[in-house]
Amino acid sequence: MTPWIDVICILAVFLSLTLLATHRIVGMIKIFAVQSFFLGLVPLFLHGGIIAGRDLAVSLVTMVLKAGLVPAVLFWELRHISMRSEVRPILGLGASILCGAVLIAVAFWISLAMKLPGKLESSLVLPCSLATILLGFMTMVTRTRAVTQVLGYMVIENGIFLFALSLFDTMPVPIEMGILLDIFVAVFVMAIVLNHINEEFERTRSTGRRPRWGES
Amino acid sequence: MEKIFRGPWTVPFGECSLRLDPLNLVFLAAIVVLVLSSAIYGTGYLRPYRGKKPLGIHAFFYLVFMAAEKPAVRQAGFIYLIASHCATFFLFLMFFLMAHAAGSMDFDVMARTDFPQAVAALAFLLALAGFGVKAGFLPTHIWLPYAHPAAPAHISALLSGIAIKMGIYGICRVLWIVKTLPGWCGYTLLALGIVSGLMGVLYALGQHELKRLLAYHSIENIGIIAVGLGVGLLGRSHQVPFLAVLGFGGALLHVVNHALFKGLLFLGAGSVIHRTHSGEMDHLGGLAKTMPWTAGFFLAGALSICGLPLFNGFVSEFLIYFGLFTGLRELPPEGVVACSLGILSLALMGALALACFSKVYGIVFLGKPRTDIKTDGTPEGTPFSMLLPMAILAALCLWIGLVPQSVTGLIFGGGTYLAHTDAFAVRLGTVLGPLATVVRMALLFLALILGLVLLRRLFLGTKPLPVRETWSCGFVAVSSRIQYTSASFARMIVELMKNILLFRRRGGQVTGVFPGKAHMKSSVHDASEEMIFRPGLALSNEISKKLGHSRIRYTQLYLMYILLFLVFLLIWKLK
Amino acid sequence: MSLLFNKAVTFLLHWLVIGALSPALFGVIARVKAFFAGKKGPSLLQPYFDLAKLFRKKCVYSSTTTWIFRASPVVSLAVMLILSLMVPFGRFRAPVQFPGDILLVAYLLALGRFFMILAALDTGSSFEGMGASREAFFSCLSELALFMNFITLSLLSESLSLSRMIGADIPMSWKGLDPVLLLVVGSFFIVLLAENCRIPVDDPDTHLELTMIHEVMILDHSGVDLGYLLYASAMKLFLFFAILVSIIIPVRTGHPAVDTGIFLGGVLAMAVLVGIVESIMARLRLNRVRLLLLIAFALAFFSLIVTLWRN
Repeated sequence: MTPWIDVICILAVFLSLTLLATHRIVGMIKIFAVQSFFLGLVPLFLHGGIIAGRDLAVSLVTMVLKAGLVPAVLFWELRHISMRSEVRPILGLGASILCGAVLIAVAFWISLAMKLPGKLESSLVLPCSLATILLGFMTMVTRTRAVTQVLGYMVIENGIFLFALSLFDTMPVPIEMGILLDIFVAVFVMAIVLNHINEEFERTRSTGRRPRWGES
Repeated sequence: MEKIFRGPWTVPFGECSLRLDPLNLVFLAAIVVLVLSSAIYGTGYLRPYRGKKPLGIHAFFYLVFMAAEKPAVRQAGFIYLIASHCATFFLFLMFFLMAHAAGSMDFDVMARTDFPQAVAALAFLLALAGFGVKAGFLPTHIWLPYAHPAAPAHISALLSGIAIKMGIYGICRVLWIVKTLPGWCGYTLLALGIVSGLMGVLYALGQHELKRLLAYHSIENIGIIAVGLGVGLLGRSHQVPFLAVLGFGGALLHVVNHALFKGLLFLGAGSVIHRTHSGEMDHLGGLAKTMPWTAGFFLAGALSICGLPLFNGFVSEFLIYFGLFTGLRELPPEGVVACSLGILSLALMGALALACFSKVYGIVFLGKPRTDIKTDGTPEGTPFSMLLPMAILAALCLWIGLVPQSVTGLIFGGGTYLAHTDAFAVRLGTVLGPLATVVRMALLFLALILGLVLLRRLFLGTKPLPVRETWSCGFVAVSSRIQYTSASFARMIVELMKNILLFRRRGGQVTGVFPGKAHMKSSVHDASEEMIFRPGLALSNEISKKLGHSRIRYTQLYLMYILLFLVFLLIWKLK
Repeated sequence: MSLLFNKAVTFLLHWLVIGALSPALFGVIARVKAFFAGKKGPSLLQPYFDLAKLFRKKCVYSSTTTWIFRASPVVSLAVMLILSLMVPFGRFRAPVQFPGDILLVAYLLALGRFFMILAALDTGSSFEGMGASREAFFSCLSELALFMNFITLSLLSESLSLSRMIGADIPMSWKGLDPVLLLVVGSFFIVLLAENCRIPVDDPDTHLELTMIHEVMILDHSGVDLGYLLYASAMKLFLFFAILVSIIIPVRTGHPAVDTGIFLGGVLAMAVLVGIVESIMARLRLNRVRLLLLIAFALAFFSLIVTLWRN
């Protein structure tokens, strides 16, 4: 089942890249949901196609949490806080894509030198998870909105998830589940905090810098 | 083939010998053709100046004396002079180094020497610095866009077509002499070519003055040549002779081609300026109607420089591309990465050059005149002595494009000579075969065009067709000034690259319900000039000013310095 | 002699296929869009009627234009006819194939584009100049993506010829390297949409929107000239479809009839797909088109990285 994992790895990186090119927060959340959904499929392909109970459990929990609940919370937050739904990039979107492409290259290059204790399901897992993490970082670095920070953080988590899954046998399920739950709680807390911040600073934020040509 | 003529007299440090080998044969071919055409062109172009100005020999004197009353030209001359001197400084160092290692100043002796790695690397770097200034590599190209437009058109043609090629020739000669270059040299040359090529064409896109734009395009073409040389060097250092011959051969062919089409373009630009007394593209327009011959020849030059099929530019770019794609298969991973970057940058250069020359041709020759162009009323207005050289060069561009077999012997001779390989060991058939097919397809293409034209004639009949105003959805242009200009045509690309190109825009904002007059000025500034050389110059001015304060103004003191230095030298050498 | 005769026959066969079938693609796309809009839609043969009508009409020229304006439709059509000899149609290898033919393909496309841009500037209208400027800009980006794909395919197939890159060796690649080809297909599809001025990039049905690129350049062409241009753009669409289908469905059953059927079915499916994309997507804002093309480039770049990484 390696080809399927390969495809999902590539998709994950590609979706992180499109996240960098998206100019609407709604679009970003959707892309994140799709990415999480595909990553949720990974456990099903792990052991040569034999789906064990715990694979199914991990897969289900991931999908429900990250592809369902987290986006739902973020959407709720967007609706609740009536703010403009455009991201405000520090770096232009075009330049972000090119930088992202370079980061992908860097991730692959670095992963050549990395040695892992266990054997990976697919050789693409390591570089792709690294690339996803770097792209998530990139999203956090170049976007100024708080929601986009959360999204970047979630993408990083997705990268770690991909990496952890490939070491599935050596990593106990409860730990992974615990991380997931932590993340979810973090998002929830962040949503509430955001809500409060927004009420305070809505006026000052809207008088910020005028957008440049080409970035909306 | 190699012919050596040795003079019966001696000069200091060696003997006087002239040699003709496959390498300088290529350069000589380009020189002969372009110098002859330029000389013919000059008789027409300089008619207004005849009897007034003295003509010097060196390019510097041409620059300064021909129009020295203009401050811009004087400045261009000085910048060129300074750049030449800097280059010469590095070259002196390089030749002393090589002569020291070889024990002789003779190239033949040097070529037989096995240089130690460190010396080879240092000589390569010094050659890049010295000859790079001459050739106009980034970032030492800054003299070029000043110097080339300042000269009269046919001299600009020589400067762009030949003078900067001497830098390339120098690099080639060093590559030939120093056989054992370290592996990174090829990558360096390739990277230099990529950067020069891309930046050259981007700067060219931002220019509004015809000859300055062409000058920047020379930097792009030098970049393409350097990419070719880099591929060749990679092939040589990785023992892939086929790749080496392809890269060097493609670069050498591009040297010849660039001399032809850039010469042609500069002569065409000269005709435009001769006729309209303006090189500002945004003032021109619609010249294809008043200068049909010049327009036709210029189109041939534009098609060639964009590397489009049928013309010579495609052949040389084809060879370099072929080398790069071959490199994908034959080189180790880092070479594959380098070759991929080379292919991409060549593709981007091609697309940008296409944008640039569709801009030049479309703005200058097509559409309507943007200002009242003062012409003398004659239909073509260009003397025959100026049209003839353009015709010759255009014909040669087409000839190399359609019959590349006629030059492959010459350039692959040079290529194998540079690659230090046996010509028969290299499977040249693998590239000559495709080239022949390309030519056949080009001929079929021409036949198809003919057929389609005839078919169109069949559909339309022979009756004259109605001629109206431009429709464009009923949007009637109130003035020919409203046409797209060179600045607006290039705007999207230039704005995308505004951080690299230092794109500046002033004005252009209109306010109020009934806005009054507004002005907008946009310009592209040379980053290496603004960020490296101007601050550097300011710094050195600062330092010399400080030194100047501490200087004591007595002649005797200077004499004393000289005396002390002499004594020091004597002690050092004779002790 | 018989070799030459064979060659001539294959040339004519290829021209016949593309000449006869390419306009139908416009009909299919229009039908799919009509279906999505809940309309009946024009007949599949409508593009043929349009072409026949245009070929019977005379041309009107602007007094501003020169011979370049008249040359550009001829050059465009001639370019497409030459290209149709170099692109494989499913199992039928291209009649002309040689190492490096991808370069000729790319640069012939550029030649056609050069003349189109010049023709647009030739009218002296700022409207058409605008289209010309955009075409020049976007083609830079799409050319970059195209060459990126060529590099990847060349590495995969270890070949320099289009017919080999997307021909027989692809089935092997599909077995072992599918994600890479997936990226190539995605990137190439975006390039296809951009090069053929389909909807997320440009709307072939309007002339008066401000995002127009290609369509505005041919505003002043009329009669036979416009017919040539339309025919050329139909052929271009067919050729891009042919390349994409050859990558996606590299089936070789050995039966000529079955293979032909599969190929034509694939081209038809592509047309339907483009129709669906056009129905469900809005045209992108002009400064987003650049992003789309950059994504195509990034996809191709990614595929190259993965390919290099595996070797």
